[in-house]
Amino acid sequence: MSLQPVAPSRRRRSLPAFGAVTGLVLLAASLVACGSGGKNDQVPGQKSSAYDSIIKGAPVADSGAVSGNAWAAKVKKQGYLKVGGTDSGPLFSIKDLSTGELTGFDAGLSQMLSRYITGGSTVKDLTKLTITTVDTRETLLQNGTVDAVFATYTITPERAKKVAFAGPYYESGDAIMVKTENNDIKSVDDLAGKKVATESNSTAALSLKKYAPTAKVQLFQEDAQCVAAVQQGRVDAYVLDQGILISDASANKAVKVVGQPFTQEPYGIGLPLNDPSAKQFVNAWLQKIYGDGTWAKLWQATIGTIVKGDPPKPPTIGSADGS
Amino acid sequence: MHDVLSHFGDILAGFRVTLELAFLGFLGALIIGTVMAVFRVSPITPLRVIGAVYVEFFRNIPLLALLILFVFGLPDIGITFSLFWCGAAGLALAGAAFVCESMRGGINAVSVGQAEAARAIGLTFTQSLRFVILPQAFRTMVQPLVNTFIGVALGSSLVSAVGVSDLTYQTQYLNLKYAQATAGFLVAGALYMLLAFAGVGVGSWLERRLAIRR
Repeated sequence: MSLQPVAPSRRRRSLPAFGAVTGLVLLAASLVACGSGGKNDQVPGQKSSAYDSIIKGAPVADSGAVSGNAWAAKVKKQGYLKVGGTDSGPLFSIKDLSTGELTGFDAGLSQMLSRYITGGSTVKDLTKLTITTVDTRETLLQNGTVDAVFATYTITPERAKKVAFAGPYYESGDAIMVKTENNDIKSVDDLAGKKVATESNSTAALSLKKYAPTAKVQLFQEDAQCVAAVQQGRVDAYVLDQGILISDASANKAVKVVGQPFTQEPYGIGLPLNDPSAKQFVNAWLQKIYGDGTWAKLWQATIGTIVKGDPPKPPTIGSADGS
Repeated sequence: MHDVLSHFGDILAGFRVTLELAFLGFLGALIIGTVMAVFRVSPITPLRVIGAVYVEFFRNIPLLALLILFVFGLPDIGITFSLFWCGAAGLALAGAAFVCESMRGGINAVSVGQAEAARAIGLTFTQSLRFVILPQAFRTMVQPLVNTFIGVALGSSLVSAVGVSDLTYQTQYLNLKYAQATAGFLVAGALYMLLAFAGVGVGSWLERRLAIRR
């Protein structure tokens, strides 16, 4: 039944949908107009031919070393490395949209490890990526969906109960991002009582609790959302890995990074706990690329494009609690 | 599991926010949805168009997109709500589109003779809705409205992506520290289910109460 005096004609029925779509388009247009584009399209840490040649120049293991190790032999048989990680992490692991190739420090290490085992030299075919999150990493390693996780994966004793960590392969630290015109916050002590954003899948939330216990922590899912929250004044500061913050700030003039890193984040390669041969093999490989300078070259081509100065000394394997 | 249970207080704090969001979101959805449903069956064409455009917009945009527009889009045009209210408003506006359609369905299910009889005894449009159509329509609306409530309650987990500290957010936060995703989400899932069951319970009770005994 209808209370309408006249039944609507057939043509009118498509009108509401048309109106809704027009509304959405207008809204989008107005947001684009208002959102004074401070960000440019350049994402640091993206592919360059130098990057490719570093991967292709990385060492390959003797066939004896591979066949003598259960985990490596399995990877070699399968022909590529099943990697858990992300395709949207600037500097560490980001997909080049034009070539579909994964580049960055984490991505590069995974490709080099695969090359070490399989001997392959087509960068794109060395690894197959499964997107992992903080919620899924341990499970995907345990059930064998991925062979190894390269995902700015901070080594902690709790996590080491569920997965094995090779490395640490990189020492990072959390830094602070604020609005460009903010001069009140200069160090972690100034965060007391302030609203501080961080990524919901990072250990920075835990470091904040330790170093700035009175700060009000606000978690957002993505890096870009945290930056927007700082820019829009929803939070006073944003705390995360220094390399990522510097790369954000280099693309966005409305924010800046202050002070020096106030934490030590040892990144490890997540491996299955039930196969001790994996950790042994990967640690030996890390030692090799530390020694022959490949690690430093990869750093230079990825993180080094944003962080100034010489490559740091690689961390000592087994130095982190849980590795 | 032990680590998760020892922080059950944090999970409960998140559950409280989820309860508030589900309640406020559904209440808002009922109010806005009823207004829109009245618009959609009214004899005034501009009101019908407003109702229809509203429904087509909010029913066909993903809730997550709507939430992100509220949290990160509105500040660009100078309007900043707190994260909690952004979440509640998003849930209410999206839920209202579904409430509106459930109501319209209920109204259309009342036989045309009822409306004609109401007109014949001289009731106005508002009176016939209020005293004749809506009381009967409400009976058929109960189950669709329960569905909408469940949609709002479970959909509220999306607010964790824009930083509202609800049940999902607290669970993810605990997982950062203890790497216990399976245990955490088992507990969180059970609590969401509890909330949905509560909605189903209220729905069944209402249905029994409103049933006509013949």
